[in-house]
Amino acid sequence: MQRQEVIAKLQEVFDGAFLQKVTVTPELSARDVEEWDSLAHVSLIMAVEQAFGVRFRVGEVEATKNVGDLADLIVKRLPKG
Amino acid sequence: MQTLRQHLESASPAFESELTAQTRDVREFVELLQLCTLRKRAIEKGLLKASKKKLRVAAVGGANLHPLVDFIGHFAAVLGDGECEFWIGDYDNYNAEILDAESPLYEFKPDVVLLLPSERRCVYSGPIDSSRSVQEEAARRVAGDLIDLCARINEGSGAEVIVGNFRLPPYFDPGPMRNTSLISDYAFRRFVNSEIGFRLPSYAYICDIEFLSNRRGNLAGVDDRTWFESKQPFAAGLLVDVAREYAHILNQLTRAPKKVVVLDLDNTLWGGVIGDDGLEGIELGTTSPRGEAFRDFQKYLLELSKRGVLLAVCSKNDYDKAIEPFEKHPEMVLRLKDIVCFKANWEPKSDNIRLIAQELNLGVDSLVFVDDNPAEIEIVNQFVPEVSTIWAGDDPSEFAAKLKDSRFFESRSVTSEDILRVQQYKQESERQQLLSSFSDMGSYLKSLEMTGVITPFNKLDAPRIAQLIAKSNQFNLTTRRRTEAEVLDIVENERFSAFSMRLSDRFGDHGLIAVVVGDAVGEDFMIDTWLMSCRVLKRQVEEEILNEIVRLARERGCARVIGKYIPTAKNGMVRELYPKMGFMHSREEDGGTQIYVLHVTEYRWSETAIALRTETYATAGSHS
Repeated sequence: MQRQEVIAKLQEVFDGAFLQKVTVTPELSARDVEEWDSLAHVSLIMAVEQAFGVRFRVGEVEATKNVGDLADLIVKRLPKG
Repeated sequence: MQTLRQHLESASPAFESELTAQTRDVREFVELLQLCTLRKRAIEKGLLKASKKKLRVAAVGGANLHPLVDFIGHFAAVLGDGECEFWIGDYDNYNAEILDAESPLYEFKPDVVLLLPSERRCVYSGPIDSSRSVQEEAARRVAGDLIDLCARINEGSGAEVIVGNFRLPPYFDPGPMRNTSLISDYAFRRFVNSEIGFRLPSYAYICDIEFLSNRRGNLAGVDDRTWFESKQPFAAGLLVDVAREYAHILNQLTRAPKKVVVLDLDNTLWGGVIGDDGLEGIELGTTSPRGEAFRDFQKYLLELSKRGVLLAVCSKNDYDKAIEPFEKHPEMVLRLKDIVCFKANWEPKSDNIRLIAQELNLGVDSLVFVDDNPAEIEIVNQFVPEVSTIWAGDDPSEFAAKLKDSRFFESRSVTSEDILRVQQYKQESERQQLLSSFSDMGSYLKSLEMTGVITPFNKLDAPRIAQLIAKSNQFNLTTRRRTEAEVLDIVENERFSAFSMRLSDRFGDHGLIAVVVGDAVGEDFMIDTWLMSCRVLKRQVEEEILNEIVRLARERGCARVIGKYIPTAKNGMVRELYPKMGFMHSREEDGGTQIYVLHVTEYRWSETAIALRTETYATAGSHS
């Protein structure tokens, strides 16, 4: 799965997690979304893990700055092959 | 999920039932998160009404309680009686929050407190070479501390407590010592869990996380990364299970378990069709695997019946043929004496089911219908939607498991009254036969040789009183639900005059059948609660109860008795009770509530056929 597909699928996860309509772009970050506070973030990342079937390493997600970084991380953690 | 989104966009009224169906089935985190969000959007849009009734729920614990609490709220609102208003404690601050009487926990005035204790503190921390008794002592202390916390919560707020127990670690460590010594977390937590269960006070309930984690798989329930990053107590999937369970217990606080299983016969209790295959042709018993499965299902049903669940039959068959296996088949586990109501005819099952409810004097919604034929299930769903249905499927080896996982028959404890119930319903049919042999009601009632006992509320009766309060829907003037803890509050509160009544007759003991709570306010004696078991209708119990109410009102120096009728979907049978008993209509309030007044001096005492004994109020305290 490529970054582009990952971002498209992330849109679905975001739609399920936020009440407001959020358009997912690589530049998007928590600052841009009112609902995206630390509590929502916990649910969002758990949902991302399950939706993509990936496991992040401890501390990894914290280091991402925006959705683009998160998408790259997902690509990196997707099972190869 | 797509359908649900479309329903939301088009503001379709089908949204709510679809949301309920999907919430009932949801097992995974992503889906549940979406359902939560969709529901909130639907409320914003005005498609769903947030219910008026709000339960005040405080949640405290040794982990991050988000999103757990949001999920509990979702399950409780969608599958239960209404919205929860939450107060959530700080991360791992529950000891202080509970022990400090001034803490915001108590300011919130919770109805229920959810406690999720820290599993990281449920470990053995003493010397490793200590004796067995030292280790057990340590485990008992952990359990004891938790029970004490529950007690403090209840003393400080009157709230009921739902306390989570401890899941077992999924890792092989420490190998052979896992089960031979309490120094392993595995053995230690199991010991603590048992202690909590055995010592659980009446106002507390266990959210059995040990069981839930076992059921899903302990390894699948662990996610150490989310613990380190955001103090999540469980992996995503187990989080869903635990949220569902807390909500399930919340709902059970005010909802009674089902009382009757209505069973189909052919291909449900035995293989084949009795009308075609005959007694020798049906598949039942240990001679074949399939026959053994049916027999095993019957064994489970008998077990349910021993717990007080009534068994009834509803089958499309000729009656004579249908009863034959019950009377003659050597491998039948269930016999006619185990069936309280037997309908075998060619009328629609929906009609028969209504009839069964009527004859047993129970609400239709206390029935669960089991059939292997999906068409029959569909008909019942459509024409008697209040009845819960279980489609048995086509593999009898799974029938018992389907019932066991339905969660319809979970009672808190089995009271001796539950065990007597099957017998009581049999006695009722004998009374009906006696009634038909008398020409007038008066001589019939005399012949019953009834005796009644009126007793003020007391601690001993509290569990049964709370059970009757939770169960009674039809003869219930105000349908005011009270938990056991709230019943105990009434015992302590001088303002209330509350009593229950027991009834027995020459056929047997009905047990505790009526509950009244009177609230004396100045000149007025308000009937806050009056409910009765439908088993004793038309037995002059109402008259004796009103006698007692008026007697109490006088004792309290009240001039008037005020009766209130709050209409619900189920209590139509008592709409006219007060006017029929001599009350004057006073006024109508919001929601069709009717207020009636009776002047104490104008009351005419009723004579009845019940020999009544009233336990005095002064000695009531000696029960406790």
